[in-house]
Amino acid sequence: MRRTDDVYVVGCGMHPFGRDESVTGMDMAERAVRGALADAGVAWEDVGYASGGSDVSGKPDTLVGRLGLTGVPFVNVQNGCATGASTVLTVANALRAGEASIGLAVGFDKHERGAFHVSASRYGLGDWYAETGMMLTTQFFALKTRRYLYEHGISERALAMVAVRAFRNGSNHPLAWRRKPLTEQEVLDSAEVSPPLTQYMFCSPGQGAAALVLALGDRAFDLCERPVRLASLALRTRRFGSFEVFSPWLPPGPHRSPSVDAAEAVFRTAGLRPADVQVAQLQDTDSGSELIHLAETGLCGHGEQEELLACGDTDPAGRIPVNTDGGCLAGGEPVGASGLRQFHEVVRQLQGRAPGVQVPGAPRVGFTHVYGAPGISACSVLTV
Amino acid sequence: MTSRLIDESLFDGESGRGDGERPGAGDPPRLVGARCSACGTVVFPRQDSCPRCADGAMSVRVLPASGRVWSWTLQAFPPKPPYRTPPGGHRAYHVGYVDLGEVLVEARLAVPRAEIRIGLPVRLTTVTAYQDEDGTEVLTFAFAPDRDGGR
Ligand SMILES: [Zn+2]
Repeated sequence: MRRTDDVYVVGCGMHPFGRDESVTGMDMAERAVRGALADAGVAWEDVGYASGGSDVSGKPDTLVGRLGLTGVPFVNVQNGCATGASTVLTVANALRAGEASIGLAVGFDKHERGAFHVSASRYGLGDWYAETGMMLTTQFFALKTRRYLYEHGISERALAMVAVRAFRNGSNHPLAWRRKPLTEQEVLDSAEVSPPLTQYMFCSPGQGAAALVLALGDRAFDLCERPVRLASLALRTRRFGSFEVFSPWLPPGPHRSPSVDAAEAVFRTAGLRPADVQVAQLQDTDSGSELIHLAETGLCGHGEQEELLACGDTDPAGRIPVNTDGGCLAGGEPVGASGLRQFHEVVRQLQGRAPGVQVPGAPRVGFTHVYGAPGISACSVLTV
Repeated sequence: MTSRLIDESLFDGESGRGDGERPGAGDPPRLVGARCSACGTVVFPRQDSCPRCADGAMSVRVLPASGRVWSWTLQAFPPKPPYRTPPGGHRAYHVGYVDLGEVLVEARLAVPRAEIRIGLPVRLTTVTAYQDEDGTEVLTFAFAPDRDGGR
């Protein structure tokens, strides 16, 4: 079914994630863009609209100095963990509005080692909050996970199973950072960071870049043998009562996440149900986050995660393959690039040419989800 | 040894500290937030507008001094600045949310690992966050096991 106002992914490119001191954020972005253009079989001159995002590694639109000064409109995005999805949204909307028929989205970042640096005043908080040692994202993830496990009767072993699957998938993926499989015991026995989360249940800030070429309607089918349709994409911010990072207080509950809103919106728009998803990407800043997001996005019920994991249902050959490239846990978290990494992996899976382990049975419906501070989420449904 | 509260705006000036009495002696000073006159939302620290509705006026609200642990974790590694290391250096500490009924407040938990659990009755206290250069002890709020609680 071809519709002239539908937007398709017709090419994707990626610079390997990890640590590589020999390249800058811009170097990686350029490589990802050239990879995506080659994959789509188009030249930079064919791109009529572009959007790029980076948290810390420079102004994305300056890439035109490397790619060619064609005069193309280029929108910079800085939207935390939703940066990648926001660049895709920006380009897709421009194509639908008739600005161009071919567009490009790119995201990249190169972070320093160690925990992300944060300042209290930037979040509208008093100095006391950071001075007394409460302003750490790792604490937030641990507190949210601890409460979630308690409310839904999930054991800490489930957290280890998430990490084990991530590193196993990463070990089979040429673009992942962490390629060493770990056992459940090794994950549980790794350094205690903030219980119930251990060191290997957290992702690390890293580096990487990814890019997509998008095209409108029939043009997509002229360019690409197997274009992937962007069936829906939604970005949401938090509403009252969501449990977010750096909150000195919370209302008594229930606590509803923007992930719930974004997921509901994309399934409604796509006319599909979570049960239709055959390959999924979920934000896995830490093992607990992925567990929570599995249910918040509707891929399973609250409390069903442990059995799902134990049965291998989230493995590449399972019922709902999750983070087939190892996600953030195996890839690291270059903030501006992560969202586009998710698209890259799902597109390649739906085209039957996954860089790592291919989901069997020719999957036709893919899903992506990101979540970040302070309470933003973006989801998409991709179909072939 | 002299001491001071880390941020006066977090605390009720009337409670726990009569003239000449240092904070921390006797009952600890109570936490103070704000309550919306329209929707009843209670926030901490105090703020001038309601995060939930546009209709209400915010008034000062002295928060309950006791509640139950709603969630908890441990800070194992020393945080980066602007965290201020306490006298004697960093030691792993617990943090969590305490359910005070009308609001959940994030706080340091002065609770030993063997005792800590969701649902544990706790009561407001103060702990030393760090020392000023002149040696003044800087106190922040925390919750400790409530030996009379749990009824
Ligand atoms: Zn209100």
